[in-house]
Amino acid sequence: MTVRRVPPVFSGASFVLAALGVLLAPAVAGLGHVLLGDRLALPPAAAAGLAISAAALWAAAGGAAAAAVGRRLAVLEIGVAALLLLVLELGPLARALPLLRGHGLAVAGWEAQGKLVLVLGLLLTAGLSATVAFIGATASYLLTGGGRFDASISYELFMARSHLRLSPRLLLALFGMVVTGVLPGLLVAGAWSARQAARERRAARRGEPFARQRLSPTLLMTLISIGGVVIGVMALVVVLSVMSGFEADLKRKILGVHAHGVVLKYGQNDFTEWRDVEQRVLRVPGVVAATPVLLSEVMLAAGQNLQGAALKGIDPATVGGATDLPRWVEEGKLAWLDHPADIPESVLARPPGGERAAAPARVLPGIMIGRELARQLRVFVGDTVNVVSPFGDLGPSGPQPKSRPFRVAAIFVSGMYEYDAKFAYLQLAEAQRFFGTGDSVTGLELRVTPVDEARFIMRRVLARLDGHPYRVKDWGEMNRNLFSALMMEKVVMAVILGCIVLVASFIIVATLIMLVLEKRREIAVLKSMGAGLPGIMKIFVAEGLVIGAIGTAFGLLLGWGICLLIDTVGIPLDPEIYYIDKLPVLMDPTQFALVALLAMALSYLATIYPASKAARLHAVEGLRGE
Amino acid sequence: MAALVRIERLCKTYLMGEKRVEVLRGLDLEIADGELLALTGPSGAGKSTFLHVLGTLDVPTSGRVLFEGADVFERGEEGLARFRNETIGFVFQSHHLLPEFTALENVMMPALIRRVPRGEARRRAQEMLARVGLSERVEHRPGELSGGEQQRVAVARALCLHPRLLLADEPTGNLDPGTAEGIHALLADLNRSLGITEVVVTHNEALAASLPRRLRLQGGLLQPSPRAD
Repeated sequence: MTVRRVPPVFSGASFVLAALGVLLAPAVAGLGHVLLGDRLALPPAAAAGLAISAAALWAAAGGAAAAAVGRRLAVLEIGVAALLLLVLELGPLARALPLLRGHGLAVAGWEAQGKLVLVLGLLLTAGLSATVAFIGATASYLLTGGGRFDASISYELFMARSHLRLSPRLLLALFGMVVTGVLPGLLVAGAWSARQAARERRAARRGEPFARQRLSPTLLMTLISIGGVVIGVMALVVVLSVMSGFEADLKRKILGVHAHGVVLKYGQNDFTEWRDVEQRVLRVPGVVAATPVLLSEVMLAAGQNLQGAALKGIDPATVGGATDLPRWVEEGKLAWLDHPADIPESVLARPPGGERAAAPARVLPGIMIGRELARQLRVFVGDTVNVVSPFGDLGPSGPQPKSRPFRVAAIFVSGMYEYDAKFAYLQLAEAQRFFGTGDSVTGLELRVTPVDEARFIMRRVLARLDGHPYRVKDWGEMNRNLFSALMMEKVVMAVILGCIVLVASFIIVATLIMLVLEKRREIAVLKSMGAGLPGIMKIFVAEGLVIGAIGTAFGLLLGWGICLLIDTVGIPLDPEIYYIDKLPVLMDPTQFALVALLAMALSYLATIYPASKAARLHAVEGLRGE
Repeated sequence: MAALVRIERLCKTYLMGEKRVEVLRGLDLEIADGELLALTGPSGAGKSTFLHVLGTLDVPTSGRVLFEGADVFERGEEGLARFRNETIGFVFQSHHLLPEFTALENVMMPALIRRVPRGEARRRAQEMLARVGLSERVEHRPGELSGGEQQRVAVARALCLHPRLLLADEPTGNLDPGTAEGIHALLADLNRSLGITEVVVTHNEALAASLPRRLRLQGGLLQPSPRAD
């Protein structure tokens, strides 16, 4: 009696390789990020991208090796490895978390946002790692499952084409239907079908033969699944582009008013060597301009109106290099901060007589405030504003607030309500005199290029200054809450809209299962001719990928078109609420590419179950069902 | 002549719900290289099952099928697929051609599965279609061919890669007697001219009688069937 070779359900060797891939992928990502970002000092976005790509490659390679060694799809092995990873993450790793802080790793960020986010993040890591490994495993099985490397898809594509029967005319009709918003297309299709039915009836009455053209059910399913992918991809692309638009708009406004980065110094009122530091900083590659700034919180008073404000002492000559402030000036002139004598009389020109009498000959220094602040204080260019600081001189009963009058030299509009309502600017020397800080400043504001590498460039600046007692901050750090909220919103939107693509991939699964059932006899015949399991799988994987590719292409095209439409035609928004007059869009090619990648990955994964079902179909049963 | 195939104590048992159905009960057979063998028997006797096991589409419950002395079922699933592709040709009762493809494409299919380049596969298919007398109809789809022509295309497909063993499961079951005779003549001719070993299952006793070796499958066992005359 011979012992027949029956492959074991669970392959140990396969599992070891799968576990190596799945378990070490997150470690590769983390180590890669630390190495590329911290050691090699690559820009953060590039470092993260490269580290994640390396981890994905590692996981895919592990899965591929597991599939090749075990001659299987290694579903079970990868699944067990993923569970093991999850256990390790929630056990030992959770305990080792404090060690991982301070490297800019994602896990530390999750930890900062609470237990729920941390657990979700770790779950996501395990899921992604296993998914990528599974993609690697299936691809490897498709290529090597026949016992030797075989990347050819000659007859498989031949078969797939005959199954799908997608003519260019049909695809054009589908595209037209989606472009026009499905409903008109359905009406046209309904009308056409009714006309055909009427012709058929007439022909039947006259006893003439009439062959009515009908879409086969599988073809209809194929078109529906393509439509599903189109809608999912389109929605993702459009919504993400609009959110990016908002983000970019916000960034533009923040960066317009604020510098890209600041150099600060530990200690009080002793940053007197700022001229020297400015020269050194300007020599750092990437730093374009620098300007000194003195910061403090004050109260502004005009008549009976009182408002808190952030006061900035600036150098009007150099501030234009580091920020866009001069461009935001709406009324008056920035230069009048230096030449307060040029400030014209207030348009109202009815200052309280007593005040004018008190200081008739003295020229008051100028101040620049935001439009909202000016509105709240009810002042115009030329009006007098009292600046009140709580840190005053020592009086008989302790410290007394000090107050000095200034004249409004300019009013600016940044477009950000908070800024327009909060910021006031003085000439640096005036501010220094008012606060009594001598020649010291709070810090230097820098402009860098490119903006998105600000963190990285600021780190170089700090290195140039030999660290302590200096410290640096970039715009991302200064507005961390805002941008992390935006990022969170974007991630949540992407996940929710990604569900549409997920549902579309389920339709692909259903379509392919239907196709497999319809083609059982054909599959059996191919098997009788010696088609191997990977070959049969390739047929249906190719079909799913064609559906996914057509859907993704149409979806991207459509999404791009809608974005262009929003951009050129413009959807008006109420500027009082949004501080922006039309819906912003930013078409980011990377984002488009990521959406396409997601759609293709989901389409590919959707094919695996139906394809392996087809491959495992018993040839004899397929032949018998005649 | 040397034995091409040796079958030893071949058993095939199905489970139909709770019931065990013993289709093949330990049959032994030797098929010599180049032989043309007719297999007859009542419906449901297990002729198709026997052919499927012989062609490795189905695995036996017990027993061995030796091809040139080696147990074919010791190969893994992929090994069996390659074995079918390289060594076996099937002809089914209802031709089982792929309806969406032309006759030529149908005949090319086994060669494409073996990864023969397309041009070479086309050349071989054309040659084989000419051999079965269909060189005029290569671009027709199965639906545009007559029953006899369809079965000729199926024979050409089975022989495209010059297999050692041709297994025909009632190839003439759906044809009128005249056409059936043509197919049988074709099979006999191919056996002679190409030296392909053939096992032909048939209901047609008269046609079976014209073949050199006849076996009858009954009660799960094979018996030599004497010439009808």
